Amino acid sequence: MENVRSSTLPKKYHDAVVRWGQTFLPDYPLLLDNWEKFFPHDKRHELCAYRQMGMCDEIECGTMKGKPKFHKANEMTPELADHLLKAVKAQASTELGSIQQHQLTLARAPEEVDQFWVLRMMAEELRHGYQMFHVLLEDDWAAVSDTKGEDMVEEILQMRTGSHVLGAFNVDFDSFVDNIVFCALIDRVGKYQLAMQKVSAYKPMAESMPPMLQEEAFHLATGVVPIRRWVQSAAKEEGYVGMDHLQKVINKWFPRGLDMFGDERGGGSNVKMGLKPMNNAEAAKQYTEEVQQLVSDLNLRYLRARFPKLSRDEAQERLKRIVEKGDAVEGVGPDNLLRLPHHSFFRRRGIHAYQMIDIDGKKVETLDGFKSHLKSVLPEAYATARDMTKFFELMGKVVHGEVKADDAVHILPNLSRVGGVCPCSRAVRWVVDEPQKSNGH
Amino acid sequence: MATAKTGEIALRPVNELDIEAVCAIDEKLSGQDRPGEWERRISYYLRRDPELSLVAVEGKKVVGFMLGEVKAGEFGLEEPAGWIEVLGVDPQCQGRSVGKKLLEGMLAGFKARGAKAVRTLVNETGQKELFGFFEAGGFKSTPIRTLERKV
Ligand SMILES: [Fe+2]
Ligand SMILES: [Fe+2]
Repeated sequence: MENVRSSTLPKKYHDAVVRWGQTFLPDYPLLLDNWEKFFPHDKRHELCAYRQMGMCDEIECGTMKGKPKFHKANEMTPELADHLLKAVKAQASTELGSIQQHQLTLARAPEEVDQFWVLRMMAEELRHGYQMFHVLLEDDWAAVSDTKGEDMVEEILQMRTGSHVLGAFNVDFDSFVDNIVFCALIDRVGKYQLAMQKVSAYKPMAESMPPMLQEEAFHLATGVVPIRRWVQSAAKEEGYVGMDHLQKVINKWFPRGLDMFGDERGGGSNVKMGLKPMNNAEAAKQYTEEVQQLVSDLNLRYLRARFPKLSRDEAQERLKRIVEKGDAVEGVGPDNLLRLPHHSFFRRRGIHAYQMIDIDGKKVETLDGFKSHLKSVLPEAYATARDMTKFFELMGKVVHGEVKADDAVHILPNLSRVGGVCPCSRAVRWVVDEPQKSNGH
Repeated sequence: MATAKTGEIALRPVNELDIEAVCAIDEKLSGQDRPGEWERRISYYLRRDPELSLVAVEGKKVVGFMLGEVKAGEFGLEEPAGWIEVLGVDPQCQGRSVGKKLLEGMLAGFKARGAKAVRTLVNETGQKELFGFFEAGGFKSTPIRTLERKV
């Protein structure tokens, strides 16, 4: 990376992230030991923050467009700082949250290469979390916010699957298919968020984005490449994952990905304040187009592997016929291929949140009907997972009029979040002033 | 994602969703469908330097690609140099300077990364057209020779 400045956090925070990594990314030493084997000649992973130098100095969108960017927190209005801090916190939470999720099923990778790619990606997510901590800790937020950077860091380090800011990071992984589909679908949302924040009116945030985006490109490949291989194996009826299961895992993650863009009616104030160039709906639309392209490419790969005598053009024609007309040709119909669920299916944020809408976008009348629909289109292990139990509890309240859908949106995650540390909790205080104690008490 | 109006060719960095389009161009040129090969190559460049390798697009359609990287210390040549590994242009778009645009884009990327020279390997007799393309782009044969023997 050219023209990039690297730095580390003050020691006690650096050590806190290292300790966190030892707990939630225990295979990090294994990654470093095998780096040359899987990533020969690539620059070795380092736990540090990178800032891209020489970026645009003027605010790039919104009402202050053309004015100088903010270099310090105290130059911003409290409202702007509040929006920014929320985004930084959400970003940091996603980075660390995904590591906790990936770790659950990492050992179940059927192929070593895929496992090490995911492991490298996890290490890079740790660096991304570190990067966001750097944004929080390098500045003094006292003039614009009641929240201290240090407290935010501690709070984020305390989060677990179930208490993260965004829903996608509160869902447990059930198999290695989750690791891979998550990279292809959820890291893709991450790419959008980072790309948008590259214009941030707060310069340290903008400068943090390009190095993260560079790594994100690899994360997307870590997802897409194994899925391409799996689809081709499925076509030959060999391999690890069938199309049916892959579809169910896509159904699990795509709605969470869309939720990550936020309410379709929102995002305008971020644009006005110069923090992002696109509102939520525009970004979600582009994201959907990308995922649709991925699905089409995968279907084409499936047909070509299943019918090797077809030329590319013939396979394209056949794909069109199957998808658009619903025809089955030589035993392959729409149900044998992949598809995107309707954008209103199984949503928890935005205008379709907590509506009972099936995968085709049609309304389901009863809660039981919706439950059995979800059971049939989601992976079996997920249908009985704690995330689904919580979802149905809340969904039931919405259906029975006890909670409004608009309010339900703000209820999950119903936090087991630990702010500070309660003397009776088992939580470790990650940031400690002295050399490590056995635990926080 | 960068797009270009119909008739206009734009450049943007290659990404993982271009693998299929690159396979399609390669298949038109080589007659072979080689998904595994392009999955491997493109993810290699995405891992190393995702902003450097480029695709040319007309609208949203990928019509060409050029993959490469900056290396130092290769063959005992210490100074960083850009290496162009592979180039492909959709035959339907040939004659529209797609390759030239890709080369200009890559040269700018190499320069920004501190490369002092740009190198590529071409078979002078078997790839006459390609050889001509690089010659027209200012490339000259060097005294460094590729030596090869059967094993
Ligand atoms: Fe990340
Ligand atoms: Fe990522």
